[in-house]
Amino acid sequence: MTARGEASRFETLPYGVGRLTGGWALLVVALLALVGWGAYAYSCQFVEGKVVTGMRNIGTMGGATWGLYIAFNVYFAGVACAGITVAALIRLLNLNALRAVARMAELLTVITLILGAFSVLADLGQPLRALINLPLYARPQSPFFGTFTLAIAGFLFDSLVYLYLAGRRDAYLMARYDTPLRPLYRAWAAGYRDTPAERERHRKTTFWLAIAIIPLFITAHSTLGLVFGLQVGRPGWYSALQTPAFVVLAGVSGVGLLLVIAAILRGYLREEQRLGTGVFRWLGAFLLVLTLAYLYFVVVKVLTGFYAGHHHEQQLTQLLLWGAYAPVFWGSVLLLALPAGLLLLQAITGRWNIPALVACGVMVNLAAIGKRYLIVVPSQTHMSLLPYGPGFYAPTWVEYSIIVGLFALGALLYALFVKVFPIMDVPEEGVR
Amino acid sequence: MAKYAMVIDLERCVGCRACMEACKVENDTPQAVFWMYVFRFEEGRYPNTRVWFLPRPCMHCDNAPCVKVCPVGARYKRPDGLVATDWERCIGCRYCEVACPYGVNYFNWKAPEKNYYLDWKDRDLGPVTHGATPPYKNPDLEKPYGPERRRIAGGGHLKGVIEKCTFCVHRVEKGQTTACAQACPVFAIQFGDLEDPNSTVSRLLKKRPHFRLLEEAGTQPRVFYLGGHPPGGEVRQIEGVKARV
Repeated sequence: MTARGEASRFETLPYGVGRLTGGWALLVVALLALVGWGAYAYSCQFVEGKVVTGMRNIGTMGGATWGLYIAFNVYFAGVACAGITVAALIRLLNLNALRAVARMAELLTVITLILGAFSVLADLGQPLRALINLPLYARPQSPFFGTFTLAIAGFLFDSLVYLYLAGRRDAYLMARYDTPLRPLYRAWAAGYRDTPAERERHRKTTFWLAIAIIPLFITAHSTLGLVFGLQVGRPGWYSALQTPAFVVLAGVSGVGLLLVIAAILRGYLREEQRLGTGVFRWLGAFLLVLTLAYLYFVVVKVLTGFYAGHHHEQQLTQLLLWGAYAPVFWGSVLLLALPAGLLLLQAITGRWNIPALVACGVMVNLAAIGKRYLIVVPSQTHMSLLPYGPGFYAPTWVEYSIIVGLFALGALLYALFVKVFPIMDVPEEGVR
Repeated sequence: MAKYAMVIDLERCVGCRACMEACKVENDTPQAVFWMYVFRFEEGRYPNTRVWFLPRPCMHCDNAPCVKVCPVGARYKRPDGLVATDWERCIGCRYCEVACPYGVNYFNWKAPEKNYYLDWKDRDLGPVTHGATPPYKNPDLEKPYGPERRRIAGGGHLKGVIEKCTFCVHRVEKGQTTACAQACPVFAIQFGDLEDPNSTVSRLLKKRPHFRLLEEAGTQPRVFYLGGHPPGGEVRQIEGVKARV
């Protein structure tokens, strides 16, 4: 079979699967270069130690011992939890209008969970030892236990099973095509024939899996909130609001990113029909509700910090409102308030504009990153209960490079998946 | 079973920081790491100012937040009250550090070969020691301790793990006192067994009013302060150490 013949065999596959364009190849090369750069930065850190980062000890060193890695771990875990939850809600509530984005959301979850796990590994001083000692000596009393088990391992397993089951039908349909990818589709379908009995069994299984995913999302992301919210010795962290705010901000960032991905794929695959305005209207409405809820949490947190707070809480609130962290705080608030206004306007007028929605998705994600940073860093640099004096934290090129490398890895995995497996449900009529 | 505690008399402390020096030499800690730290405070307004000092070792809390959060049990409470760090088990997540309200934990940001308080390879040191190279590592710091036989003394200083004041477990298990208490020229630091009613620490706590740092955090520290008062919001640190690696 000639190369031309191979290409023509892929022509019939839906959603551009197997068709490698020049633009796509360029994107993959660029992403590979960024991943390589991130890997190089990590190798520097691995060899020389965390001294190459901007993190230092709390106290006499006047630093922050957790920095960008933990902030992005929380961000990635949030996006992941929200992604699969959207997929589960689509299944549970029969939101057929959103079925086109279900697999995008499932894939987003799997990939961002991997990125979340990598960002924790990047943060650990002894990552290899951790891989052995965590299973050997795990202590459920530590809030980290929930992060490693529920938020990463449990969710990753659950999401992979969900992605696999939900994709079996499409794998069966794709296996009808005579392409080099057929063995993969056959393996994925694993004997599935799309009979009415099999469909029913799948429907029931994914339904119960979806039911399990919702409470798992809330508990998993709550444990991540508890990593901070249980620490009485760190003003700004010790708060009952921490946990629900974590869950809601996870929803904001996850739905926002899903919106952006759906819009990119809509343009790339020219699927204006399947990814119509209806899909974006739903996602926009979700995003609006979640963003307003999170803004409410921000207002309540600032009010309690000022009104009845311990003097350390007051100091922290002042630090955020007009101190060293004010630019990040107000920047994040603006990047939440502006999309909230835009979304509200579109909801009232009933005119949903996709570029405006994408802008909202980007803005809320930048805001979520800013808020995660503000949760992690100021309480360490400025909020020691003993009078050590203020410290500072400035990330180095190593930390930035590793984070950029992780984003590139995520985009790369997404781009590769899109060329191997249909990113949306395959319509029956489109298959031979 | 002994119940170890430290009593620090703030009325005696002259802020000489000999305890900091003794701790560094005894435990061979890396540069910019102060398992024992002495705050030098100033309070009031000129001319009515007062200078006072507050030594700060690890508090070896009975309800230690660092022990609670450790995901692998590397940080643990011994029956005799010492809060120990098993540097062979630590994975370097630094959760203990963010959980501790006292700022006593130090992470090894890099391999400390050239980073010790005294660099024995330093050329300028040769004339002082007449070319002699003292033992680089105190073998006592490397040994396992306690019935659990875990490595918890000040050895290692491995890159990527957390460490802190051990209450000189390697000395205490030999029946000695801590290095900081040993070095204090004015006997401001006392270390001993609270279970023994005749120990200096028991007699001092029976005789004189005392406080513990951040009692409101519920950590139940094993370090007691005599005289003075906890540092409030009005104190200013004189020449606060901001050494970084």
